[in-house]
Amino acid sequence: MGQQGLLTTPPAKPNPGLFKRNPPIAGEAEAIERAKNGDADAFSKLYALHKRRVYTLCLRMLGNVSEAEDMTQEAFLHLFRKLGSFRGESAFSTWLHRLTVNLVLMHLRKKGLQLVSLEETINPSEDDAPKRDFGSRDPNLAGSVDRVTLERAVASLPPGYRMVFVLHDVEGFEHNEIATMLECSTGNSKSQLHKARLKLRELLRQPEALPPIEGSKEVAK
Amino acid sequence: MSDLTNVNFDNMTAAQFEDYLPDLFASGDGKVSHDPRFAVFLEKNPDCAALVHDLEAIAEHAKSLFEPTEEPADSVWSNIASKLKGETQDLDEPSGLIEPAAE
Repeated sequence: MGQQGLLTTPPAKPNPGLFKRNPPIAGEAEAIERAKNGDADAFSKLYALHKRRVYTLCLRMLGNVSEAEDMTQEAFLHLFRKLGSFRGESAFSTWLHRLTVNLVLMHLRKKGLQLVSLEETINPSEDDAPKRDFGSRDPNLAGSVDRVTLERAVASLPPGYRMVFVLHDVEGFEHNEIATMLECSTGNSKSQLHKARLKLRELLRQPEALPPIEGSKEVAK
Repeated sequence: MSDLTNVNFDNMTAAQFEDYLPDLFASGDGKVSHDPRFAVFLEKNPDCAALVHDLEAIAEHAKSLFEPTEEPADSVWSNIASKLKGETQDLDEPSGLIEPAAE
């Protein structure tokens, strides 16, 4: 392996406040209170404010447009029914994300994808696992990775790796929270995240081999 | 997980370092490259330094994915609104489906 890393300078950080802490959105608090009282316009405003984030989260976790749309629908139906239990103890978007993640996980369990309870099921097959090849790195690893390429690489991860990577590195959940959601140990969450990053490193070394995300509009920013 | 209390970080092997990495990344601010305990080791092991650099960069790039890029089809809202029609009086308007509000 050469000394030059795969990725050069990281992109400009998003507003730091958007990561892990979700700032209040103008008009959101009022819309929540009105929607709790059954105001349909207020609920449609909440949908408009959060549909892209919820849908993107579903798409990343599921890797399938049709299922992501179904789960987005389910998430907002669930939101409508459960909105009365939102007490404002966390940011609304954090609460909505957690609700969405739990619904997606429930959906995956119903489908029979046991990605959470057993070590061997959360772990992908040996073919999918990242290779442990210290000392035999390709010397030509220069170049930055754009957002679309990273999205494609994330979509190519085995489901167990992808889930932990999205929850931790993208959504900002802590390992203990992920362990609770996935019904695994904190150590398992850390280990899966590390393997996911190693696998991403492998995938990003050959970006031309990454397939486009099926049905996705892939908006480059 | 790894017990790092008695580890001599200057003399560990690359394989040992990789075994410790999941815990090292999960502790502190996750910036192994900034941790003075590994300065000597990483200086002596450029492959490991490149690995750490790449993994930190991947984690940093991942934050940029937090902002959504994808938009659900209009039919998603139509389906939600029509299902809610049956659940609430408010949504049961003569015009049928309500329009989603502008952001």
